[in-house]
Amino acid sequence: MSILPKKNELGFFEIRLESIGGLGANLAGKMLAEAGVLGLGLNGSNFSSYGSEKKGSPVKSFVRYCDADTEIRDHSPIEQPHVIGVFHEALYKMVDVVSGLSADGIVLVNTKRDFDEVKEDLKLEYGTLATVDALKIAYQEKTKVNTAMLGALYRVLDFLDPEEMKKVIRRTFEKKYPHLVEPNIRTFERGYEEVIFKTYEAPADAKSKQFTRVQPKLGYETQPIGGVITAQGNSIFKDLSGSRIGFLPEYKADSCIHCAACDTVCPDYCFVWEEGEDKRGRKQMFLKGIDYQYCKGCLKCVDACPTDALADMEETIGYADKNRVKHNFPLVTGGVQ
Amino acid sequence: MAMAEDKLVKMKQGAEQVSTFESGNEMAAMAAAQINYHIMGYFPITPSTEVAQYLDLMKSKGLHDIELIAADGEHGSAGICFGAATTGARVFNATSANGLLYMIEQLPVQSGLRFPMVMNLVTRAVSGPLDIRGDHSDLYYALNTGWVILSARTPQAVYDMNIMALKLSEHKDVRLPVIVAYDGFYTSHQKRKVDYFKERDVVQEFVGEAPKGYTTSIDKDNPTTIGAHMNGDDLMNNSYQQSEALYRAYDVYNEIRKDYEEISGRSYDILDQYMMEDAEVALFLLNSAAESSKDVVDRLRSKGVKAGVISPNIIRPFPAEDIRKALKNVKAVLIGERADSYGGNGANLTHEVKSALQDDKENQTIVLSRVFGLGGKDFYADDAENFFQMAMDAAEMGYAVKPFDYYGHTPGDPEKAFQQVLEPQTRDTYKTGLIKVTEDEESGKLKVRTPPLRQLTHKPKRFASGHGACPGCGIFPGLELFFKGIEGDAVILLHTGCGYVVTSAYPYSSHKQPFIHNLFQNGPATLSGTLEAFFEMKERGEVDIDDDFTFVMITGDGGMDIGMGSAIGTALRNHKMIILEYDNEGYMNTGSQMSYSTPIGHMTSTTSVGKEQSGKAFHHKDTAQIMAATNIPYVFTGTEAFPQDLVKKAAKAQWYAQNVGLVYGKILITCPLNWKSNDRDGEAIMKAAVDSCFFPLYEVERGETNITYNPESKKKRIELAEWLKYMGKTKHMLKEENKHLLVDFENEVEKRWRTLKVKHETPYV
Repeated sequence: MSILPKKNELGFFEIRLESIGGLGANLAGKMLAEAGVLGLGLNGSNFSSYGSEKKGSPVKSFVRYCDADTEIRDHSPIEQPHVIGVFHEALYKMVDVVSGLSADGIVLVNTKRDFDEVKEDLKLEYGTLATVDALKIAYQEKTKVNTAMLGALYRVLDFLDPEEMKKVIRRTFEKKYPHLVEPNIRTFERGYEEVIFKTYEAPADAKSKQFTRVQPKLGYETQPIGGVITAQGNSIFKDLSGSRIGFLPEYKADSCIHCAACDTVCPDYCFVWEEGEDKRGRKQMFLKGIDYQYCKGCLKCVDACPTDALADMEETIGYADKNRVKHNFPLVTGGVQ
Repeated sequence: MAMAEDKLVKMKQGAEQVSTFESGNEMAAMAAAQINYHIMGYFPITPSTEVAQYLDLMKSKGLHDIELIAADGEHGSAGICFGAATTGARVFNATSANGLLYMIEQLPVQSGLRFPMVMNLVTRAVSGPLDIRGDHSDLYYALNTGWVILSARTPQAVYDMNIMALKLSEHKDVRLPVIVAYDGFYTSHQKRKVDYFKERDVVQEFVGEAPKGYTTSIDKDNPTTIGAHMNGDDLMNNSYQQSEALYRAYDVYNEIRKDYEEISGRSYDILDQYMMEDAEVALFLLNSAAESSKDVVDRLRSKGVKAGVISPNIIRPFPAEDIRKALKNVKAVLIGERADSYGGNGANLTHEVKSALQDDKENQTIVLSRVFGLGGKDFYADDAENFFQMAMDAAEMGYAVKPFDYYGHTPGDPEKAFQQVLEPQTRDTYKTGLIKVTEDEESGKLKVRTPPLRQLTHKPKRFASGHGACPGCGIFPGLELFFKGIEGDAVILLHTGCGYVVTSAYPYSSHKQPFIHNLFQNGPATLSGTLEAFFEMKERGEVDIDDDFTFVMITGDGGMDIGMGSAIGTALRNHKMIILEYDNEGYMNTGSQMSYSTPIGHMTSTTSVGKEQSGKAFHHKDTAQIMAATNIPYVFTGTEAFPQDLVKKAAKAQWYAQNVGLVYGKILITCPLNWKSNDRDGEAIMKAAVDSCFFPLYEVERGETNITYNPESKKKRIELAEWLKYMGKTKHMLKEENKHLLVDFENEVEKRWRTLKVKHETPYV
């Protein structure tokens, strides 16, 4: 008798974790898989999306479980998972995180918002939505988001034994970092306890959300030979705001002395300048504001600022869009989206 | 967090094994650790790097005694391996893609001189364009090197074949090096359930003691000449011996794999055949794709299609006879290859299979060949289904409509073709006229006037926003600050490294001016060619007389390790260009392996901290002094924490590069991810690096050293520990038990600082 609640055609129960680099989704995926394979005697595999992505870029971690006697021969990424874990809410702006979710699937989202708001942003029509404020838990316990998410995932994946994971957490920390044992156990438990669920009834004829494989933008008929990019600077169309994890710099123009210390240290060229006249009528550069589309929230500028014109700010939904000062790039007129 | 406890499995017969949940790379390292090789010479390259990392981590815990030598490039790593192998020591390596190509000169030396060793080839696409993911284009280059090649489809096979490989390599009838090839990412990084021998004695007993009686380079009683040169008469004979030995490896492998099955319960026949007994249509695939296709065979069989999959476990020697037998009654076979032999009407294995069938005069099998899955393009079940469909169509028609083709290429939508985004920002845009450089006639030195940084915000950035660097990355403020001091147009070349990867991920570019990438052995030479061609064409009146560029070659500290030869050669030729190094003290793009610029004691993924070792074992490279010794006109150091200082030096660099010759500059930059520091601390860390005299700000102008900021005279000097405390990678150095490390580091920094002061005070020292 299989302990897995559901299986696909090949006999797999599949999980996809959607995250950005640096939040520990990869590690969480590995621990989930290990718990199933080494703890429960299931067969399983675990892998991540790979590329040259850096911290803050979208990443996926995949877990396949099956019964011990089922062989795993498939290497391909998981397209139609039973469970999706979204570690970073802002991801939905960059990635269709619920792509391919099965009709009776569960999506767990790290969020402090209401079910209905999240459902709308994810364009989820049916299925079970689970939410947990993993960031708050991690912040309060001074631990990591992935441990809280792992707790919540254990609640979702009720065939796993949470007591076993607590033992793993204890073993991991007790030798080198004994003071971290209890906060991490608490983080895991709170994730497990604080996750809440809401099911949106699927109509009788509901089908799984179609998974769409991302197609390349160019092809052999349109790609310039030699892999050359003929659109210099087109990375300005990228939205990197999803790389921020909770904080951004707030700009108070009144205190600004336009010294450019912020501009000097900014890795993402977010500061927008314009020419104006100073009090004596001489031409001078003035800081107009911050283009939050590119800001990854490192806050180096806040530390560099000699006045209090820049300050840490906990990001609320909509603030960056409202207060963004757009760069005035010399766009080619016509043709560009 | 640590993995759950390994579960015990008792084999019915044979030795005790335990189950674990690991990737192919972890299992290659595990096998190597159990064998306890003498030497691993290596150089990091994705996706094989983890093998060395895991071995380093195990070593820090005292789990093996392998001497891990971080080479200056793959060519060097192969040299280390060859040199070590001549002593009779057991030698191990792992590489991928261009790493293999960079060492390829050494591979026939290893095999032709008949020294055994084992190398894991974690297969990946060969550049260019650069692609870090898996295909077999590197493996196909290895086919002619004279090495035995085993192919491992799963992490389990990686472990098992690594054990068999050494025994095969050292066998008296073989005496050849062996490659174990497995798929980058699919096999190297996917974690699977794997069984391994609980006791390493079992492994060591299986491979046995290294056989004695062969030539070594350290046998004073039987001195020999290793590496004589020959003429054709003799080389023919040497090659014949080698050829015979490689064919003998077939029988030897067969023996070894049977013995191994006895102790492990796992069998690796010459060919892995799935449902081939009565198959009418078949796929011939190497490694992981063959596994994925087996699921499709099951599906087709349930519909009554007699489908099967063949995948060889050994491709050198090529098992022609087995393949002939396996395909005897197959109506159509499709050979899918993750590489092309351009212009060859099919890649290498297509022709090898065809030639095997040619020898069977009765064979009627229709052969189709498809190049698929290049650069890690995923292979899904529906792709395998399409392959079978093509084979079925050919079987039905009695011939292949298209014997050779690509599979999975897409035409693209003309509407989405590239369009220029930004108006070209050219010379007037980048010329502020605010920076003045004049030559002092008496001293021959330059005087520079730069405006406040505020005014320089008028100059647009050379790099575009939207690049994919980590939050708090130090590369981009460092580079842009440097370019604030450069007036007019620039041609920029970035070596392979983070700076390149995050600005040039197709189809996006964060470059506004002309940009070139080349692999990081070769950036300085490449750009020297570019600029000389530009000047030559200008002289011939073939380019606009007003066109003027500053040529800037940007590299990380990794590029200055593997590319040191190219940099020195370019410096000695004194081309009018700038080499700008951003130093983040490690190979960060591949996951924080040590570079020669990593300071002593610092933790990286190949200099682990544990009970047996405490970070990097030797001092950081003083690249600025090495470059100064080439007597180029201008050398400088700089950092974002002292912006005016760096802008001034950039302006001087441009003047020297335009008027005299080569300039080298090093900027130190923070890597918050791998230094394990707070994203926001970058500037403070840089300031502390300078104030602690770890990273003195100075220039060597026409041979004379000038310290441009002296923390002592400004009464700002701080202890080295004040710098180290910012970073997780150096926390252990501040502990009492590592005091000796800190003292050693302090002494080295002090020695270099004092030397620099003497040079500053005394021209011509």
